[in-house]
Amino acid sequence: MATIEVQRQLLPILDSPNQGARFYNPELPSSEPFVPGHRTCAGCGPSIQYRMTSKAAGDNTILVGPTGCMYVANSSYLCTPYNVPWAHTQIGSAGSFTAGVAAAYEAMIRKGKWKGKFPNIICEAGDGSASDIGLASISGALYRNHDCLIICYDNEQYANTGIQASSRTPYGGMTTFSPPGPEVPEGKKLYPKDLARMMAAGHPHCYVATASVGYPIDLMNKVRKGLNHKGAAYLMIYTPCQKGFVYETPRSIDLGRLVVECGLYPMWEWNPEKREFNYSFRPASMRPVSEYLKLQGRFGHLHAEHIANLQKFANEQWKMMGVQLPEALIQAADAKNLTNMAAAAEAQAVAQTL
Amino acid sequence: MSTKNTHIPEWLTVPFAGITPAPSQEKGQDLFPTGNWRSIRPVYRDKLPPCNNACGTNEKIQGYLDLVKRGKYLDAYALIKEDMPFPSVTGRVCYHPCEQACNRGKYDEAISIRAVERFLGDLGQALTNDVVKPGKPNGKKVAVVGSGPAGHSAAYQLARLGYKVTILEKSPKAGGLNRGGIPDWVLPQNILDREIERLEQLGVEIKTGVEVGKDVSWDSLKKDYDACVLAVGLIEPNSVKAEGEDKKGVLYGLPFLRDIGMGTSKVKLGARVAVIGGGNTAIDCAREALRQGAAEVTMITVEGNAKEMPASPEDLHDMLEEGVELMHGRAVTAVLGNGKAEALQLHKARFQGAINASPITVDREAPAERFAVDNVIIAVGQRASLNWLPAEFKNERGTIKMDKFGRLGDTNFFAAGDIAQVGSGQPLMVVNAVGDGKRVAFNLDKVIRGEKLEPRTIPVDVIFDLNRMNMTYFPHFPRVQQEMLSTKTRTKTQDEVIQAFTEEQAVEEANRCFSCGTCNACDNCYLVCPEPCIARPERSNGLYKILVDYCKGCRVCIEECPTGCLEGVPELDFDTGVVRMDTAFAISPGLHGRQAQELKNLGDRAPKNI
Repeated sequence: MATIEVQRQLLPILDSPNQGARFYNPELPSSEPFVPGHRTCAGCGPSIQYRMTSKAAGDNTILVGPTGCMYVANSSYLCTPYNVPWAHTQIGSAGSFTAGVAAAYEAMIRKGKWKGKFPNIICEAGDGSASDIGLASISGALYRNHDCLIICYDNEQYANTGIQASSRTPYGGMTTFSPPGPEVPEGKKLYPKDLARMMAAGHPHCYVATASVGYPIDLMNKVRKGLNHKGAAYLMIYTPCQKGFVYETPRSIDLGRLVVECGLYPMWEWNPEKREFNYSFRPASMRPVSEYLKLQGRFGHLHAEHIANLQKFANEQWKMMGVQLPEALIQAADAKNLTNMAAAAEAQAVAQTL
Repeated sequence: MSTKNTHIPEWLTVPFAGITPAPSQEKGQDLFPTGNWRSIRPVYRDKLPPCNNACGTNEKIQGYLDLVKRGKYLDAYALIKEDMPFPSVTGRVCYHPCEQACNRGKYDEAISIRAVERFLGDLGQALTNDVVKPGKPNGKKVAVVGSGPAGHSAAYQLARLGYKVTILEKSPKAGGLNRGGIPDWVLPQNILDREIERLEQLGVEIKTGVEVGKDVSWDSLKKDYDACVLAVGLIEPNSVKAEGEDKKGVLYGLPFLRDIGMGTSKVKLGARVAVIGGGNTAIDCAREALRQGAAEVTMITVEGNAKEMPASPEDLHDMLEEGVELMHGRAVTAVLGNGKAEALQLHKARFQGAINASPITVDREAPAERFAVDNVIIAVGQRASLNWLPAEFKNERGTIKMDKFGRLGDTNFFAAGDIAQVGSGQPLMVVNAVGDGKRVAFNLDKVIRGEKLEPRTIPVDVIFDLNRMNMTYFPHFPRVQQEMLSTKTRTKTQDEVIQAFTEEQAVEEANRCFSCGTCNACDNCYLVCPEPCIARPERSNGLYKILVDYCKGCRVCIEECPTGCLEGVPELDFDTGVVRMDTAFAISPGLHGRQAQELKNLGDRAPKNI
């Protein structure tokens, strides 16, 4: 019996000078797999990410998601904003379910039971599922190299259950599981798990990248690169959570930019052919972490030494990306220089053009 | 939940929860219209960009820069022609108040708007047929006296409104100040000839060599035409009231330039030339004097330093580059010499006050200075020459008495241009005259149609504050510089000093525009909406729609709007699409409303005998 070759979709990469943060956006696809009428909070970061991702993927897409905001807030009462086939899986089984969908489509095409192109199979897992509960199954799907894209929308906590700490919650982030008090003034003492690098190191045959909602065109291009990659792909996308981070709703995109400019969320791509990291993404300016922290209520309790710790962490990330650190950022990593922060010039932007 | 293989009686197939229809791209998931979460609604409100506001004729500068950016040059040319009859001229000569007002100037460098205008003007010159067509003839005849910027502009707008326009020009060639006041190395004559040809193609008749008061009387103007626009300009040069000003070798600025422009000049300049005055005409005279063979040109001003001179800083810079000397804080008190100007007697002087008043204090106690010259060019402003005007329309300042619409009493006579603007504090520049001509043309049209003239009372919101835009979207880019002829060669010829933009340069420069306060369809709001409740059936300003049924009022689009066009308005200010908290879910009854209606009708639809 002659086998039928699997036909894949190849999505064109959008034109994006200036790393996505440019004034006049390229012509975007008109299809809208994610429609209005869902119950996420106003200004929801994961929802912005979901919309951009599905728009980049197009109509021939299957969305899969374990329990998390995007499937609790959006699929209750049996009505969803998804205009494409979708499935809600158990929180631990995101990877195995997605792998099953991908394998099933390959088999159906091989046997001639499915006519048409191979769909884009996207799994949208929250950071709770992707970094804690469902880590094993996602790792399994990546290891077996099923043709799917697994996205971790990283809002740095378990948000739909009422803001609990996950292993992606940053140092000093206040959640209901890491409240600050006299014993532990910084709230959360542990540094976040470097999930994306872990995935890149452990599954070097996969396309792995980090993205942020602050750079929409860059995000959409990474989604398309992941879908075009033959085999498994993994994306970790920074998505601010208005309820958990405690900020004003209009700043969602702004935070997505600031977290990159402050060095707390390095943007990179793993190139599976060359087996190397691509650190060429550079934000428009470099800022001290206090610029990012001061917008969020979850960091309101931090003392100078905690901010200096976070700055040290950010400086290490910059070094990892091979960026020459400006003097202002080295100074900001010393708690002595931060004690007068509210009044001093440190609170101002240290705009350092790269 | 699937209803497959489940028996549901026909009368119970209402769209109920559990058998919910799938969402659609057009209507969204209308079981949850989330609009009632909102307290602030985003609204697209275009503001006036500062360039449009500063322009003397309110050209839609942001609009044509945006069109140039996308390569729609012909549309851009058509847009500029709405307000400006000759962009190729103002693209060369304008003092560009738009660039001074440009918000980009506060960020890095202002946009080179004049160079882009010139690019478009030259494009229009190259067209076989102009994009502008005359209006439907309405049978009315209008005379325009004077063919300078204001007269040209008024005639152009009136022709577009359907009037039969006749221009009366006293010089042998049309063009007025555009021809007589601007040297060839700024504005080549063939450019102006082409623009005047364009005006004639609109059906405007130009009668040269006709002087009002001599060849045509006031009464015949009144009798032969339905209305008349007086755009006669200021033609009599002011004197400096110095002794011996009538000596041979003393010239006046505007007549000096006019004679060269009209080709009737018989002047031969000596080696040493002094130019009196510190305005734009004086600068043009000094630079023209170099081209007419003078070796040493000195400019004598009463202003204490170069900054106080009422001249365009760029022109001043170019003049100094060409080697003209400046002498500040001096007034000419006498022209010395035996029958011919040989030297000037200078006294220390101070200048305080505005451009059009002249409170000059001359210190006559101090010892006089002697300054040897062969020729003197006096360029200290002009005044009106209105011998032909009936006395009832003259005011105490020697200009025309008119109301704020430019109308003379309740006659059908209007005044426009420098003659109307002198003393108003408005700089007497080409673009301001064009703007005045345009406004007067529209006022005249209103009077002819019997409408009432009323001042505009709509408040304009101009964006001056960069914080009203999102500056993170604008990377720094240097201004594209226009190339210039070298200082060594340009003073020997009448060639244009400033060179035109290439197409790539024009696009690059237009790309720098912030589009202050005006939507330019960048798609940013469309891209960042979390719902997404911004619909974009077509990508164009005015066609983005906020689906108020769904907008939760998160204001991300407002924050991320690069141009500041989107703004948040409290929901209480609206009376349409308002969220009522007494409805269970939202403004539009949505699916729930339909369900409720269907449930009410259930009783009627149920079979009567089960």
